[in-house]
Amino acid sequence: MAPHTPQRSEAPRHSRGAPRYPYRLLPLWFFLVTLALWQIASRLDHPDFVLSPVEIASHFTEALRAGELLPHVGASLVRSLPGFVIGSLVGVVLGLMAGIARSLDQLLSPVVFLTYPVPKIVFLPIVMLWVGIGDVSKILIIALACFYPCFINAYYGARGTPTLLVWTSLNMGARRSQIFRKVVVPSALPLVFAGLRVSLALSFILLFSTEMINARSGLGFLIRQSESSLRFDLMYVAIVAVAMLGYASDQLLLLVRRHVLAWQEATSR
Amino acid sequence: MSVHRLLPVSAFRRLALLAVGVLVWELVARSGMFSPIIVPSVTRIGYQFWLLAIRPESLMEAWYSVSRGLSGFALAAVAGIALGVLMGRSALAAACLGPLFSSTYPIPKIAFFPIFIYLFGIVSLSKVLLIFLECLYPIVVTTHAGSRAVNRVLLWSAANMGASRARILWRVVVPAAAPFIFAGLRIALPIAMILVIITEMISSADGLGYLVMYSLASFKTDRMLAVVVAIALLGVALDGLIVCLRDRLVFWERLDSYSAE
Repeated sequence: MAPHTPQRSEAPRHSRGAPRYPYRLLPLWFFLVTLALWQIASRLDHPDFVLSPVEIASHFTEALRAGELLPHVGASLVRSLPGFVIGSLVGVVLGLMAGIARSLDQLLSPVVFLTYPVPKIVFLPIVMLWVGIGDVSKILIIALACFYPCFINAYYGARGTPTLLVWTSLNMGARRSQIFRKVVVPSALPLVFAGLRVSLALSFILLFSTEMINARSGLGFLIRQSESSLRFDLMYVAIVAVAMLGYASDQLLLLVRRHVLAWQEATSR
Repeated sequence: MSVHRLLPVSAFRRLALLAVGVLVWELVARSGMFSPIIVPSVTRIGYQFWLLAIRPESLMEAWYSVSRGLSGFALAAVAGIALGVLMGRSALAAACLGPLFSSTYPIPKIAFFPIFIYLFGIVSLSKVLLIFLECLYPIVVTTHAGSRAVNRVLLWSAANMGASRARILWRVVVPAAAPFIFAGLRIALPIAMILVIITEMISSADGLGYLVMYSLASFKTDRMLAVVVAIALLGVALDGLIVCLRDRLVFWERLDSYSAE
């Protein structure tokens, strides 16, 4: 894979003939200028809860060295990863099946599409009541929230399989299982990855909000606790860690997509 | 295989499914397997729901939630559509803003809520701005994609017939991008609802999210579930409103409005 592909896939596609390369480093400059302005502005008179970037960076390394941060990162990941994996796996599998099997479609789709706009976080108190206040309730809520985008995207992905391809492979004597594996799944994959990306973002939103609502560990708890004890240094460290975690996991997912979907590199982006 | 056409699932079947679900819940609640605090019966939830619906103060709580959610959503819609169209039609704007949006998209904005509270106060403004920020992303991304995908021939014809740039934007680009814009709005609306409820659960003294946590803390689970039902109905109703609006405004494009059937 050429080293420039990552940037290309994320950069906006310009109209034909427009210069692309002069703008390449613009976001980096934007970021650096913002940081510099922030640093300069923090020399002026400012309230306690505004910290300069340099201060945040030094607090960050300090917290890493003191072991204040990593246990919370671990606690958060133990909640979000199983939730994301379970929810998206069930969502993708059921979505694909509902996309190809009419009976399952009629059973599942009305329920899923009707409950889709319901904010899943409202089920947290009920789940807490049923399975307790610990990690299981958080994992279940995250899984529930991750289920929906995955199901809907996999469903439309499977339905959008070009009929011609199915006919062709039937004509060449493919079995139903073969068609599913070799035709339906590959043609649904781009949409499945779009769903996974939405689910990943949602899993982080729900992780931090469930941790802010009730938890004794995790980054959401750390933000809440350091905020209420006026330790703004630790609050910023936790927020930076949250941002880095979200960004890194998204990049990881994009990397996986780039490998799995190498064959459709330029088409449907 | 996937050849079958989209079969409209009858409203009757949905109602039957719902009725079976309600019946099972009621039977489980009545069987005495669980304490009524853990699984309150449907009749008690229904009674609490009725109480919520007739009391003006609980209607006020609902109004707080809806007004917060909708004002954040409306701000995000206006700003997001403007930014998305700008990015779609100007290479410079796309180069400046595109990477900015795609790099900050995966960062969960809810983490900034404590800072927002300090900056903008604990009442509505911090919540509205957080909702605005989180809703902005899907709207910008889909509007950008939509206004980039406008048929060149349409733009050329409009320019050829002497339309000004502003007129082309308003009469060609925005209508052509409208299906995409509505897709973005439809993604953003549930996000707005999620964030209203979350922020009210975390720090608030009013709104439906607060009412959920308050009822749970006072072990009134039947009332909590009634509020949950109200939030769910609100979410479905607002989504239906968006779909309805889309079918009115984008009437020339037949979209797959599955849930609107």
